[in-house]
Amino acid sequence: MSLGLDLGYLERSARGEFDLGWLRNTDSEWGVRAVPSKTGLTLRDISIGSYGVIPEHAPRRTMAPRGSDIESDVPDMGYTVNDKAEVWSDNVLDLYEEAVSRQWSATRDIPWSELVPLDPDVEHAMCQLATVLSEVEMVAADFPAKWLWRINHDFVEAKMFLCTQVMDEARHTEVFRKRALANGGGLGRATAVIERFLQLILDAETYDEGSALMHLLGEGIVLSLFRAGAALAPSPVEQQIFRLCMQDEARHVAYGTMHLRYRLAKDPSMAADFHDYLDRGEEMIAMIFSTPEIVEPTAILAAGSVEAACALGAEAGDVLRHQIIGDYLKRCDHAGLDRRGRLHLPDAIIEGVPGAKAEVAA
Amino acid sequence: MAPIAAPFPSGPWFEELVARATADTAAMERLGIAEFRLGAEVVGASGARRLFGLEFDGYDITATGPTDEAAFAPDVVFSGSLEAWTEMIGWIEANGPADSAHSLNGLSIAGVPFQVRSSDAMGSDKFYRYMGTLQAVFDAASADAPVPAVAN
Repeated sequence: MSLGLDLGYLERSARGEFDLGWLRNTDSEWGVRAVPSKTGLTLRDISIGSYGVIPEHAPRRTMAPRGSDIESDVPDMGYTVNDKAEVWSDNVLDLYEEAVSRQWSATRDIPWSELVPLDPDVEHAMCQLATVLSEVEMVAADFPAKWLWRINHDFVEAKMFLCTQVMDEARHTEVFRKRALANGGGLGRATAVIERFLQLILDAETYDEGSALMHLLGEGIVLSLFRAGAALAPSPVEQQIFRLCMQDEARHVAYGTMHLRYRLAKDPSMAADFHDYLDRGEEMIAMIFSTPEIVEPTAILAAGSVEAACALGAEAGDVLRHQIIGDYLKRCDHAGLDRRGRLHLPDAIIEGVPGAKAEVAA
Repeated sequence: MAPIAAPFPSGPWFEELVARATADTAAMERLGIAEFRLGAEVVGASGARRLFGLEFDGYDITATGPTDEAAFAPDVVFSGSLEAWTEMIGWIEANGPADSAHSLNGLSIAGVPFQVRSSDAMGSDKFYRYMGTLQAVFDAASADAPVPAVAN
């Protein structure tokens, strides 16, 4: 394979006969002076002039920085996601900055020494929840990582945001694994139904499908679990874990919601496709809502004991169920996809959630 | 540090709260940037509602004083009765940074005694995105409330 090594150039440059074409004869915009804003020099600050123009369809499939002076014979990198609408969201520049500024360490920033001994059943419930979360969080790293190398470099800000998500999810997997192993318990049970939902995300045929299933549906549910976890935390350790994870997860959901909104604004005819994706995802979610390994630990943490949770029955999980479905419907609505009245969830699950049932929506 | 001297609720009370929260600039900056407008709504016994604005702009936090919802255009309104507010703040003053049961999240997750209200999903999701910063601000009502040590 020839890489085009120019031996003559080596000789000429050794004599001081530089080419200087890059210096004297370039087509990229020059004289740019981005001005830092209050928090420093942000992506939005440098999104100026020709550098701020993001093509609707990438003209090339290269890693060349958008706005650079690109040689004609650069190789084709084979990107398959070449339309801006496939990955973009109007908040992605700000979400990247926010992600970078709100990073944290599962080793240093959790007050591990403040863990308190728990009733064995409650510890088991916490460990089971930590097991599930450690399991599901990594798919939210695997999915963006699977697609990152397929996304055209002209949409580099979206790629950069997805890189922050990969790091966020690695940290979530880490922190829940650490929690399970830190207080006398251990890992609990991994279930086939959860694995099947993760497989649905990972095997999505398009980024659109996977993003809807993961960013909007799956992470929306996990966000509610994090919120509940922070509210039910038995010690400052769990409170800090769930609070910090909640912040990260809400960023990912904000990207997913606004990506869907951008996608549908550009091509409203895609609504039918997204409805189909979410129909399938909700069917899996219905199974997760009836999975003891998720429902029961949450109920026990809410009620304080197995006996109290049993006495409360479904009531123990009602707040969480209502929040998950209500928030999901609001996000779909904000994105421009009305799921009210067409949820693929059984009546027993959507009972009492405003707008969830067809007759209420009508 | 003594409890905030200004009466609650009042513009000066929220100003002092923000002044305390932002006194350690470096510690607050380690929590990260936030772009957010929170309306803190206090509902009196008569049902009268008073709204106080908190504006988060990058690393800056400003108490905008008494305002009305239309003018302030908050992303989220955190609303509770005067009794609920007084109880939450009293607990923090007496015990330090809120535990899970006395946190903004814990007190609003079930819709009682506080409600989180927003005109769209992005607003309510910002309440979750910036929870650490928000809680650190209200924890500053405590006599001794160091900003949590989350560092980059």
